[in-house]
Amino acid sequence: MENLLYIALFSPLVGSLFAALFAMSPKNIITGIVTSALLLISFIASAILFEHVMTVGAVHVTMMDWIMAGDMLIPFGFLVDQISVTMMVVVTLVSTVVHIYSIGYMDHDKSFNRFFSYLSAFVFSMMVLVMSDNFLGLFIGWEGVGVCSWLLIGFWYHKEDVSRDVNPSISPSWAANEAFIMNRIADLGMLIGIFILYWNTGSLQYDVVFAALPNLSDGILVAAAIALFVGAMGKSAQFPLHTWLTDAMEGPTPVSALIHAATMVTAGVFLIIRANPLYAMEAVEWVSYFIASLGTFVAIFAASMALVCRDLKRIIAFSTLSQLGYMFAAAGLGAYWIALFHLAAHAFFKALLFLGAGNVMHAMNDELDIFKMGGLKKVMRWTYLYMGLASLALSGIGIAGVGLAGYFSKDAIIETAFNEQNYILWIILIVTAGMTAFYSFRQVFLTFHGSKRYADTEIHPHDMYKYVLIAMSPLAILAVIAGFFKGWFEEFVTVLLPAYKMSEETHHIAWILGLVVIAFAVGGIVLAYIKYNKGLKRNEELENSLVYRLLSNQYYIPQLYDKIFSKPYAAFSRFSWLTLDQKIVDATVDGIGNMIKTGGDNTRKIQTGNLSDYLRWMARGVVLLVIVAFISHQLSQGAN
Amino acid sequence: MENILTVLLFFPLLAGLLGFAVHKDSIRTYGIAVASIEFLLSLWLWISFDMTHAGFQFIENIPLISDFGISYYVGVDGISLFIIIMATLMTLIGIIALNIEKDIKNLIITLLFLEVAMIGVFVSLDAILFYLFWEFSLVPMLYIIGAWGGERRLYAAIKFFLYTFAGSLIMLIGMLYMAYAYHSISGSWSFAITDWYALLLPLEVEKWLFWAFFLGFAIKVPMFPFHTWLPYAHGQAPTVGSVILAAVLLKMGTYGFVRFSLPMFPDASVMYITPVAILAIIMIIYTAMVAYAQEDMKQTIAYSSVSHMGVIIIGTFAMNAEGITGSIFLMLSHGIVSGALFLLVGSIYDRRHTKLMSEFGGLASVMPKYAVIYGIMLMASVGLPLTIGFVGEYLALAGFYKISPVMTLLAGTSIILGAVYMLNLYKRTFFGPVTNDANLKLEDLDGKEMAALVPLVLIVIWLGVYPKPVLVPIDNTVKALTSFMHEKAQTKEAKATILVSKTNREKK
Repeated sequence: MENLLYIALFSPLVGSLFAALFAMSPKNIITGIVTSALLLISFIASAILFEHVMTVGAVHVTMMDWIMAGDMLIPFGFLVDQISVTMMVVVTLVSTVVHIYSIGYMDHDKSFNRFFSYLSAFVFSMMVLVMSDNFLGLFIGWEGVGVCSWLLIGFWYHKEDVSRDVNPSISPSWAANEAFIMNRIADLGMLIGIFILYWNTGSLQYDVVFAALPNLSDGILVAAAIALFVGAMGKSAQFPLHTWLTDAMEGPTPVSALIHAATMVTAGVFLIIRANPLYAMEAVEWVSYFIASLGTFVAIFAASMALVCRDLKRIIAFSTLSQLGYMFAAAGLGAYWIALFHLAAHAFFKALLFLGAGNVMHAMNDELDIFKMGGLKKVMRWTYLYMGLASLALSGIGIAGVGLAGYFSKDAIIETAFNEQNYILWIILIVTAGMTAFYSFRQVFLTFHGSKRYADTEIHPHDMYKYVLIAMSPLAILAVIAGFFKGWFEEFVTVLLPAYKMSEETHHIAWILGLVVIAFAVGGIVLAYIKYNKGLKRNEELENSLVYRLLSNQYYIPQLYDKIFSKPYAAFSRFSWLTLDQKIVDATVDGIGNMIKTGGDNTRKIQTGNLSDYLRWMARGVVLLVIVAFISHQLSQGAN
Repeated sequence: MENILTVLLFFPLLAGLLGFAVHKDSIRTYGIAVASIEFLLSLWLWISFDMTHAGFQFIENIPLISDFGISYYVGVDGISLFIIIMATLMTLIGIIALNIEKDIKNLIITLLFLEVAMIGVFVSLDAILFYLFWEFSLVPMLYIIGAWGGERRLYAAIKFFLYTFAGSLIMLIGMLYMAYAYHSISGSWSFAITDWYALLLPLEVEKWLFWAFFLGFAIKVPMFPFHTWLPYAHGQAPTVGSVILAAVLLKMGTYGFVRFSLPMFPDASVMYITPVAILAIIMIIYTAMVAYAQEDMKQTIAYSSVSHMGVIIIGTFAMNAEGITGSIFLMLSHGIVSGALFLLVGSIYDRRHTKLMSEFGGLASVMPKYAVIYGIMLMASVGLPLTIGFVGEYLALAGFYKISPVMTLLAGTSIILGAVYMLNLYKRTFFGPVTNDANLKLEDLDGKEMAALVPLVLIVIWLGVYPKPVLVPIDNTVKALTSFMHEKAQTKEAKATILVSKTNREKK
């Protein structure tokens, strides 16, 4: 099994390095095929490992030593257990699809080879992240995915910076830097968390750390839990570190599907699930509760911005944010396996949704404004079907135990909130479910139904290449059927994760709870249908209202960050350089230098060449020395 | 070979003297040959180094002025070994990348003399010998900046010289007092550092001596607020000067802390952790901000260099093996990475004769190889795991966490602010459209530049993935150092603060 583990882990790296060989030469379809094939191999290896974990048990290997200093010994160690193997299967499956998809999508891009090199490098980093058996190994992957995300968001680096009114992300390279720096802020928290664990448990290996947790004081547990969660907030773009995710949509759409929807952004949730023994400790109960509350807040907060958004990809990005909020809500409430289940289900239908959006962009010459689309369902049947299915899955449509993926996973989270008797969270999550359905179908209807609002342009939309559409089918199938594996999945992962069960009462009224959620979801869809099915009727008054503008400007948070962080930092940096450094610190140094120089210049006048002058100076010197000698003698007398 | 250190030390000196007889057309090949041999010698030193032995090796001790206990006393341990290898490597790389025609003969000979001085500093175990090399290193650098520098080269060169010289004089007074103290306690004269280690000083004396040495080292590092000579020196120095200055000369200061301050004054070192750490933190944050404000690429890297040196200081004063090993590793990685970054800036300067970021933009599409190597070095500079930059930075901060979580958090902002100025630099230079026509026809890196940079890239990745061959010998020596300090410490606080590694005890 060890070999399989290495195959699963290193195939993407081999693919990445292979593609990198061609990075500076013109498009070569082989790079796309080879990287995709290697990912398929990685997926197959992961699937076999899944089977192995289920029947035999976890696989744990230590490849070699990495860092060793003092008492710290950190190896490259990899652990394939129920949690990581679930992630591995999800990551490699979605990656394989996205790679094949990209062969079509990046068809005309002159940096085709480079793209595949980056994309496979990302998958490798993600595999390191999920497979490592210690916190620092996870941190390698954590930073690795960050760099790949930076490279891929800024993939079209040649674009110019424009003002926020023209493009809210300013430019790909700007968005890439924003993402990297925001994540770095969170990473510092994570590093501190790692330091706390190291100095208090003497190790960073998961098993050793978790075994030592009961011996730690409450304060340390709380500090570690908070610090690690700060790290998770960055990667999973939780408020207030959320702005980078929507700006990250500047990257090519396959990147958005893979990195900024299905895999990397869920790394924060994965961390909390991985560290569940810590977050389940009684002392950190309130931290977990805070995580759930923040998650719930982000769920509705992001959904609210999606309601009015006109940008195809940003709507999906907001929805990703919102769904990440759901996952944190579940994890914070202790239902780790439900969080993991939603993570997997979400990966399938959200990747599908993004890839569908990619098809639309491809057809519409990179147009993103859904107000300028409409009526695409006739020319893009398959894409319509895929995006419709994905939206239904995202909205959680289903009834009486039959439904799409989101119906099983998201409902379970909402039910968990009820089960914890946390009715405020429950209500917010239900309302959000309604909003989710509304904005998802607003997008579907505005894109695919109604009149062709692009008719007066030169655009002649057509559906994507056949093989690309076929490659997307596994995701579509999973978006439909993933839910049916819930019971089986629960059995599989609760070997390792706490078996969260609904109480008797909740179980009893579960069907009513389900109905309420469905009512909201269907209500959202119906509302969207009424408003947008026939086409777009713009309401000037509504669009100019304060609330609408607040939402469409993301609550003015990016502008606020600009005002209170970026600009003052730049101004203070300039002040530090020009005033503090040059006018004070360095001027002092030069001042001392000049003082000595002037002193020298002045005393030079003593050297007159006149003998009687010299005698006079000598006499003064002798007097001075006598005085000094006398005083020091007196002083030493006094001291004795 | 028993005299390997002497050979290592005097070979470049002899070769430099012989260099005067070499014709100027072949001086370049000659220089590369000499530097290569010297580098191979230093690698041989590594191969013959006994990894399991923590103390000094290849010791040579020849009395020079026995009445005063001054001798030719040299040796290396895990701490100095790799700094020496880095010094020979960076000299070689610097000579390979040399792109100056004017007086090239003098320049290469000067570089070889500088190499002697650098190696001398790191092998000396006698304080007077150490001081001689320490001061001697100023002269070639003064000449390099003053003769091959930019417009304000004289101001920069003199400032560099006088400033660091003033610092070293105070250190010299400290050394003389130390010898005097040794004499009054033991009854004989000695300048041997190992003798000084064994000396138990009264706390009052230890405190004063700590600051005397501190000032000499701090100006060299350079620590805030003594750092203002550095931007001028870098700003005016030719590329090779900046490479050597950033990679090796600054490390003399931090090396001094480890070689002198920690083992000689363990109590004072512990006592003054807080003020030193505060200076280091100011240095990290403040210079990172100043780096962000720069318009000149080279100045950004110069200030970033100061900022990273702050992390090295933090690690040194962590008083545990994790932190000190990390800080020594960081000295090496900082040398490699900042050296490479200065070379990269030099490449673009050779092409455009400007280093202003506003002159560039979109270089990634014109010079892809250059952009890739720059990108790798950038990531190493911001401490990306699996590059050389992460290992040291992580260990230094991890070690200092034991001293103070809050100060570690502040020092840790280095990873954020570093990303801010470096990514800003990269975006302004490499991303966006090519707006300046002058940049449209720039040549990508040529063979000579690749020959200088590719080895550094390989080292950056190799030691990032597998730092063990370097970390283990360093760590062995550092563990011995911390346990020695723990033994020697007189105050309770110092004993409690200086951690002795458990794994060390087991081996004994």
